Amino acid sequence: MKPRRFAGAAGPGTGPEARLKKIRRVVTALIRHERIESTFAKCDEARGYAERLIQIAIKNGDTHRETMDMADYWLEEKDLVHKLFKVLVPRYGPLYDKESFTAMWRLPNKLPGDGQGMSLLELKGNPWPPIQPKQRDTKFLLTNILLEEFKKDYNSQKKISQSTKEISEKTNISKQEVEEIDSNNNASDSVHNKDTDRRT
Amino acid sequence: MKVVPFRVHLQLPHAHTINWYIRKLGCDIKLEVERFHDLDMRRNILSVYRKILQDNKCRCYCSHRHRLTNGEVQKKRVALFDGEKERQMSMIRRIEKISVEYRGVPEECTLIMNKGLSTPFNCAMHLQELLMRRSVVALVNGELWDMHRPLTEDCELTFLHFEDEDPRLVNKVFWRACSFILGYVLERAFKDNHHVQLCSFPPPDVKSGSFVYDADLDLPNWQPTQMELNCLSRIGTRLQHEDLKFDRLEVKASLASEMFEDNRFKSEQIPEIAAQSGRVTLYRLGDHIDISKGPMMSTTAHLARYTVTAVHDVESDKYGPLKRVQGLAIPQQLNLHYWTYNKLVNRASKLNTKHLLGHPVNTDQHRQEASK
Repeated sequence: MKPRRFAGAAGPGTGPEARLKKIRRVVTALIRHERIESTFAKCDEARGYAERLIQIAIKNGDTHRETMDMADYWLEEKDLVHKLFKVLVPRYGPLYDKESFTAMWRLPNKLPGDGQGMSLLELKGNPWPPIQPKQRDTKFLLTNILLEEFKKDYNSQKKISQSTKEISEKTNISKQEVEEIDSNNNASDSVHNKDTDRRT
Repeated sequence: MKVVPFRVHLQLPHAHTINWYIRKLGCDIKLEVERFHDLDMRRNILSVYRKILQDNKCRCYCSHRHRLTNGEVQKKRVALFDGEKERQMSMIRRIEKISVEYRGVPEECTLIMNKGLSTPFNCAMHLQELLMRRSVVALVNGELWDMHRPLTEDCELTFLHFEDEDPRLVNKVFWRACSFILGYVLERAFKDNHHVQLCSFPPPDVKSGSFVYDADLDLPNWQPTQMELNCLSRIGTRLQHEDLKFDRLEVKASLASEMFEDNRFKSEQIPEIAAQSGRVTLYRLGDHIDISKGPMMSTTAHLARYTVTAVHDVESDKYGPLKRVQGLAIPQQLNLHYWTYNKLVNRASKLNTKHLLGHPVNTDQHRQEASK
């Protein structure tokens, strides 16, 4: 795979450094505010770096030199280093190796707009109100209870009818076998009889 | 002991004649009351004789010669119910105020209401029309409370409806009310020569798929056709437009047994029901009165679909042969496609064995019918 070529984020000729600077600003803002809104491309790219930063912070702790260097690099505001180790590491410790620490949502396109898809990036467990409204549980509505019980009834009856079918099929087979055996026996008897006839 | 029968026909034996019989012969007296067109008069006669006999510590057998009709019985019960209600209302001489703290939409607030007069429905009238329309039952201090039952003390009030977060309690109330309505349907569906005696309905169980009323329909070998079932259903469906309220009243056991003296099942059940508190809770829907612990839903306007699905023969150990009438209903707030509803109706027409007092009769036959 070819390495990704960074476009100059601060205008032509600025190179990958300017882009990294931009992403650093996004990561810093994410750790500061816990929910940010930006273009899809920026959110998507910054997300991986933020995830990785929290991951190594959980793994290595605040006594590891390389980890501290990374935190120092990605967090432009230095009070956030403290937040990373004291707030986020305890929060995401249980999620380590299980699920992501961040969530990303696509936002509707603005019309007229510049065509850049907007999206929303957040740290899980943030204090803001949830993005998705809580879905009402409709399990106990009268009609749903009735339908659920109907479904159970229907499935159990289906099972019973299937099992009775199988049994009847089996019994048919055994009947056929019995008949075959009987006919064989009769044939052999008749042969015997013939033999006896001949002997006599 | 000897029993002297008295046939009571417009010319009444004098009270002192009866007294003489009791003193001289020391015997019980059997009163046979002939048909009087005036129901009040017959009741008066009976009560006079009962008093005489009770004063003499003598047992009294009363038998009604003529077959009672459901209409007459209903009239009698309504008269007694109205009288008792009026008496209870006249006990409230002074209007006292209570504060009701309402919790829920549109806003939490405190209402000042009348003690023993104001109902949760009155509170809803002060709040919002939506609450009046959709509330099925109220929650007063965490206890289920009828919408038309007067409040008795300072309380916290919430309203429940079919689309609540957890509507299981409301479902139960609805199912109970539907069983009650089944009794209403049975008491007025048949001609006067069939004296319908309602027995009981089991506790509500939505999962069983149908609500039930056990009754003696006075129709021994009756297998209802689909057309007849439709006619029964229509009486229930019509209630939606009539918007009848469930009226609750607590009465003494003696009054209840007077009310239900024509019903052999209920008159047997009343002493058991009243064993703890000595009181019986009655509900009235239009001119139908029945015993139930409650609570019931607020009005019959909540009904959207009401179907009487089947009538099964059952044999009760205690009460003998009975008819188990089953039905299915859906409230106005919840919608179902007719195809789905018909599937549920098919399920509801199978014999509901929940709280069967004895055992079913001819179960195989019912199964065959259900499978058809």
